Amino acid sequence: MAVDFTVVDGAGETFTLSDYRDAAAVITFHRGDF
Amino acid sequence: MAVLANRHDEFLGAGSRIFGLSADAVPQNAAVMEKLALPFPLLADPDRDKAITPLGFADEKDARQISRAGTVILAPGGDEVWRHTGRDYADRPHEDLVLEQVMALDLGPTRQEAPAIGAAEAGPTAMSLASLVPYLKGAKFASLALRSRHRELGAEFTDDAKQLVQRVDRYLEALDGIEGRRT
Repeated sequence: MAVDFTVVDGAGETFTLSDYRDAAAVITFHRGDF
Repeated sequence: MAVLANRHDEFLGAGSRIFGLSADAVPQNAAVMEKLALPFPLLADPDRDKAITPLGFADEKDARQISRAGTVILAPGGDEVWRHTGRDYADRPHEDLVLEQVMALDLGPTRQEAPAIGAAEAGPTAMSLASLVPYLKGAKFASLALRSRHRELGAEFTDDAKQLVQRVDRYLEALDGIEGRRT
């Protein structure tokens, strides 16, 4: 099943992963506050 | 992320875009994007209910409600083709390995717009760029010392320590690329 999610980008705008399905995606998860 | 940022062009050339993701708030992510001059977005899932938990990266053992370190590769169309789940904050796959997985998809090159960055506010425990170098060097030499002291623990330990040292070296090298991306 295709992975999809809607979150918020670095400018506070909505980001939906499925808008970028024309290429592969490398998603790197971070623990934060670095 | 600095290492991936340093090799962003290679990932684009292999047909993949990079997206960072954390449970931090948008201003904190914006601060990281500025500090590391990331050429890709660092996305926010502060409640962990949109991507971090559904994809299996919620760190339930950490009271800070954060994400585990991890990497997922999706093929065009969105199907997951590979993942690495970190045992801890420093356990990340070698970038060569991630790139090899992307190259195996046999895709044409792609592009990724420069990410938009809003008002930045570093979190309370965030390190400045200047402090990253001594921090990383300390981590490197502590790892080297432990590796030397505890060789009796066997190959699994010494190999792990070696990989950690090599990862720190790659990160230090990647820090050199940050200024170049700012210009």
